[in-house]
Amino acid sequence: MVKVGIVGYAQSKFEPDRRTSRDSLIYEVTKEVMKNANMRRDDISTFVSATNDFYEGRTISNCFTVETSGSMWHDETKVEMDGAWAILYGAERVLSGHHNVALVWGGSMGSTFEYDQTDVLAVDPTIDRTNFFLNHLTAAAFQMRGYMGKYGVTEEQIAKVAVKNRKNAALNPLVEPKTPNITVKEVLESKMLASPVRELMYAGNCDGVCAVILAAEEQAKKICDNPVWITGIGCDQDSYYLSDRTLFANESAKIAAQRAYKMAGITDPAKELGVVEMSEKFAHEEPILAEAFGICNDGQGIQNLEAGKSDIKGALPINPSGGALGANPLLATGIARVVEVAKQIRGDADGHQVKNKVKKGLAHGQVGLCAQSNIVLIMEGN
Amino acid sequence: MRDVAIVGCGFTQHASKRSEVNIAELVHEAVDDVYKQTGLNYNDIDAITIGNMPSFEGLNYPELWMSDHIYARHKPVLRITTGGTTGGSVCIGAYYQVASGMADTVLAIAFEHQSNGSTTGGLATVGIAEISILALYGMSFDSLRMIMGAGGAAGAASFQAIDYMKRSGATPEDLARVVVSDRRNAAKNWYTHLKMPDLTVEDVLKTPMVAYPLRFGMICPASDGACAMIYTTAEKAKKIVEQPAFVNGVSSVSDEPWMFGIGGGGFANLDPCEQKECRLSARAAFKMAGIDYPHKEIDYAEIYDPFPNQNLMFSERIGLFDENQASKAWQEGRTKLNGDLPINASGGVNATNAIGASAMERVAEAALQVMGKAGDHQVKREVHNAVAHGWGGSVNLITMNVLGDHPRRK
Repeated sequence: MVKVGIVGYAQSKFEPDRRTSRDSLIYEVTKEVMKNANMRRDDISTFVSATNDFYEGRTISNCFTVETSGSMWHDETKVEMDGAWAILYGAERVLSGHHNVALVWGGSMGSTFEYDQTDVLAVDPTIDRTNFFLNHLTAAAFQMRGYMGKYGVTEEQIAKVAVKNRKNAALNPLVEPKTPNITVKEVLESKMLASPVRELMYAGNCDGVCAVILAAEEQAKKICDNPVWITGIGCDQDSYYLSDRTLFANESAKIAAQRAYKMAGITDPAKELGVVEMSEKFAHEEPILAEAFGICNDGQGIQNLEAGKSDIKGALPINPSGGALGANPLLATGIARVVEVAKQIRGDADGHQVKNKVKKGLAHGQVGLCAQSNIVLIMEGN
Repeated sequence: MRDVAIVGCGFTQHASKRSEVNIAELVHEAVDDVYKQTGLNYNDIDAITIGNMPSFEGLNYPELWMSDHIYARHKPVLRITTGGTTGGSVCIGAYYQVASGMADTVLAIAFEHQSNGSTTGGLATVGIAEISILALYGMSFDSLRMIMGAGGAAGAASFQAIDYMKRSGATPEDLARVVVSDRRNAAKNWYTHLKMPDLTVEDVLKTPMVAYPLRFGMICPASDGACAMIYTTAEKAKKIVEQPAFVNGVSSVSDEPWMFGIGGGGFANLDPCEQKECRLSARAAFKMAGIDYPHKEIDYAEIYDPFPNQNLMFSERIGLFDENQASKAWQEGRTKLNGDLPINASGGVNATNAIGASAMERVAEAALQVMGKAGDHQVKREVHNAVAHGWGGSVNLITMNVLGDHPRRK
């Protein structure tokens, strides 16, 4: 089987308002990623983008991006999920043997739409939408209560996750705004969104585009000296209905991770992985996902954090970049996780490089209420 | 490279209003039909690809809500949407999932329940209406300019039609002839929307003018419907059906300049019937399939033709006919069910258009012809190689799927 390597990556600054047009943002980042890999437009055989019609406010959101992203007159398609799935699709195109080099980009302009409203369109239109009760915030509130109730976790402990990630984000030069002195008290006093979820526990959205260039093994070695190999990919989707799911654990993320570990030959993730970058849309999702990934035992997610293991200097750092809580440019979030792991493996993480040398890392993306659908990618250095 | 084959195609009844089912139930019908056709069940499926035009029904991430309706629980699901070509892109996605080795058997689903939403409202966001809702979600001035400039699908197609007629000398009768063929063929296909077994060219030309040269009777209907297909490896395919349809070439190329473009030219820089992207897409797909002479090697074509002029234009750009010669082939009856190059035996998009599903139905119908399972509309000649085309974007995004009764030459 052909191996897929990441040979270039780029991202815009992730901040609440970039004060530019989508087209300029896409142009900036796709141009930058080609420069990063030292590739020309014609060297790339296929393009996969991740945008969303509702976030763009336009049907067929990829149709006017082909000129600015360099994909005009090239093989081109769009995945309408988090960008991590676009990386999956780009990797599949390379693995098929039909394409040698794929450019994958994704992102959105959070400053131009009301996320909470577009998300109402993502619930069951026959009942949930008309009742106007269930949305990503109220669902997360159930999930957080479920986790706290099951394992006796307190709101203070969940707030510590937000503090860790937001402090990490302050070290990341590509994320704005920076809150290096944030405290648990501030998190607990921030605005209540849906009890017990508070504003600073929630990854609000922002502006941003992120891109990677993938290449087949042979080409990757020619393009650069230090490609980062994608050795495992697993994804899984659960039922929509919250009542059919166990909210204090995430079965779908667990299965996705197991599929990725199997493909990458990982048997003991806690020991083998050097860094984890996950798309935690809420602070309480980090311990839930850490448990799903087998990094710690069920119910031990918070202890893992409190023991300092997931700190940037810990044994297995989680979200040294700040994670999704640091910056959540919808659809670019998953790609950014992959890029962050690649940076850590290359020792390229400016300001937030973890202490130990990273051989293998895990990146995660999600969509849906309470992370209904999950994707896990395992990456390795040379 | 792994060989990939289609082993089954499922459909729902298509109609203006399938009000008796909701969107998820409609999709469920197509999925059940493909399981019935193949004798497989959800345990045999490794992954799902799915797509539609999300803004037509106002559904963001529909695959999450309909997770159980498509038996997706604990399966990997990939959603691919590219507008009118969505179905074609979903097919290409299913192909790559199998070809890459990431999955062995993949369920591909495409659907549209247009009566449950607003197609024009959705198109308005490339076209012109739902500005108030969009304004609520936030819209940049650039987007507003694009919306104002785009017009609807019929608007885009009418200037394309005039351009094509001027270039090729095709007449309104030539356009009507395509409509008659499609809708008569549709009468032989169980799930189609407009079944008109006795339609004549005169009937079509008597209908009111919508936008010259397109008359009411030439424009596709808006349908509710869904399509589902199963893709698998060549080895597994042979155990499921006697004659699978092998997917030998896929491509999707876009030629969509920024509406007003850098320098302000945008659309105006384009000759709407030149279709460079269609030529590029066809060339890439035929190259992958090892087809050197499409006009000789292709035995059957499904062309995406919501407007009849597009059937003539695209069949030329794909390389099935010489430039400007498509009308002649239709006049000579070469494209009929018993002709030497039958086109749209299924009835095509002109008779049935559940938009998200339409480009997939082209692939499914081409597959049925290769498999010899098209029933009443099975063409007379043997089909060794078939091509399925999809059109979308605002004017230009072309998906191509080239199928064969044998895997591509290595």
